[in-house]
Amino acid sequence: MLDRPFDYIGQDLRSTFRPQREWAQRRGLLLIAAFFFSGIGAGGWLFSLFLSWPTGLVWSLATVVVASGAAHLAFLGRPERSWRVLLRPQTSWISRGVLGIVFFAVSGVLYLLTGAPAWADAGPGGRLLLTLSAFGAVWLLVYKGFVFAYAKGIPFWNTAMLPALFFVTGLRGGSALVLLLAVVAPEGPDLYPLEIAKLWVAVSFGALLAFYLWATSESCVAARRSVRELLGGRVSVAFYLGVLAVGLLLPLAWGAVGLFRAQPEWAWAVVSFSSLIGDFYATYAVSKAGVYRPLAGDFRVAPKTSQR
Amino acid sequence: MRYGMVIDLKRCVGCNACTVICKAENGTPPGILWARVLKLESGDYPARRVSLPVLCMHCQDPPCQKACPTGATVKRPDGIVYVDTAKCVGCRYCMMTCPFQARYFNDAVRGYFPGQGLTPYEVLKYQDHPAGVVTKCHFCKHRVDQGLQPACVANCMAKARYFGDLDDSNSEVSQIIRTRRGYQLHADLGTDPSVYYLPP
Repeated sequence: MLDRPFDYIGQDLRSTFRPQREWAQRRGLLLIAAFFFSGIGAGGWLFSLFLSWPTGLVWSLATVVVASGAAHLAFLGRPERSWRVLLRPQTSWISRGVLGIVFFAVSGVLYLLTGAPAWADAGPGGRLLLTLSAFGAVWLLVYKGFVFAYAKGIPFWNTAMLPALFFVTGLRGGSALVLLLAVVAPEGPDLYPLEIAKLWVAVSFGALLAFYLWATSESCVAARRSVRELLGGRVSVAFYLGVLAVGLLLPLAWGAVGLFRAQPEWAWAVVSFSSLIGDFYATYAVSKAGVYRPLAGDFRVAPKTSQR
Repeated sequence: MRYGMVIDLKRCVGCNACTVICKAENGTPPGILWARVLKLESGDYPARRVSLPVLCMHCQDPPCQKACPTGATVKRPDGIVYVDTAKCVGCRYCMMTCPFQARYFNDAVRGYFPGQGLTPYEVLKYQDHPAGVVTKCHFCKHRVDQGLQPACVANCMAKARYFGDLDDSNSEVSQIIRTRRGYQLHADLGTDPSVYYLPP
């Protein structure tokens, strides 16, 4: 484990494929946790709205505001200045994301204060708050993708596919969170629609992830290196074990079996938990696999006619 | 007025004097290299070993400035890009968006002699390097404002660095770029760096 300031100098003096560290190691893990919590909270909010389940709404909102908010603050080098991140939404995706969290939190709390009525039972005000909170949740699902996609220095992230990938990842995590809450809660909603939705989202996630890896591996040499880091390099254990085995294959297999044979509730809790682990590792793996565009890539040798 | 730098890769011998003088001038903490020299080989046999000095490119369209959520990354009218450490929250987004890997996060106050406290020099210099914020090269703006050259330019023993006004077509840097086919790193990204390289 590289832990001392001098240990990184070897990486910093590389002319090719310097890995990004700040968003994946040490305190960088807090940012991964913040993205993870905001994703599953927002996804859980949408599924709870769909099911008209107030308990799910409360826990989803708490996941975004408390867990994600605390992780965001703990990640910052100067958390006492965190109010400043609201100041530049005109150019910065971080500002836009944090404003989205505030917007979602305010509209979500107001919606809960009105009694969290279902769409059919709600008046105009309730429907407006429901719509605004749902919009805020969708924004929270996609903004992380835009945050990563704006990073010009890291070609693996610099793609329009990441917002879609993070959207599906958050939806999958949200469905897992609500499923887990439904199993644990004394009066949870019917599990069957959730199981179907979760299975569908998991399949979508797997397909999108495969397409993302294929597309980025075709884009440039640095992105290809990142894919190699995922499939056979320093991130491969997290990818194969966390993202694929625990996060995707186990829930998919169990979900498929559950379509044909009733499963005990504890089994769904295990599947949901493994999906959540997979979601965390998906964000972690994408972040950690990022390597910078090589500085020596533009290196030119002078033409032979050059005099000097 | 647009300050810029030209680095002659044919003259650079890779001595790392720029790395060392940058540290001496700016007092950067351990592990933080505002100026560094990469070594690489290129060309056909016999391969030429070339040194590639890198630093902040002071882009005219800096992606780090757009990414910064607090306005801590500032571009002066003369083109120098610097970090206002009083505004930085340490989110490190600028480090992700910089295509030139020129930024460093100073996570804690660390001296060069662990367990022995800070030296008087470190106590003095670390006033400009508070913990929990991102730092980067600022073309030695304190020297430039006094009419001096950046420390890495003034102390390059091979005289491989030139500094001047890129907007002035008669300046030394503009003429060198024109006559020696100077080029920018990652020009395809459209950030318009103010540091040019002359081919080796």
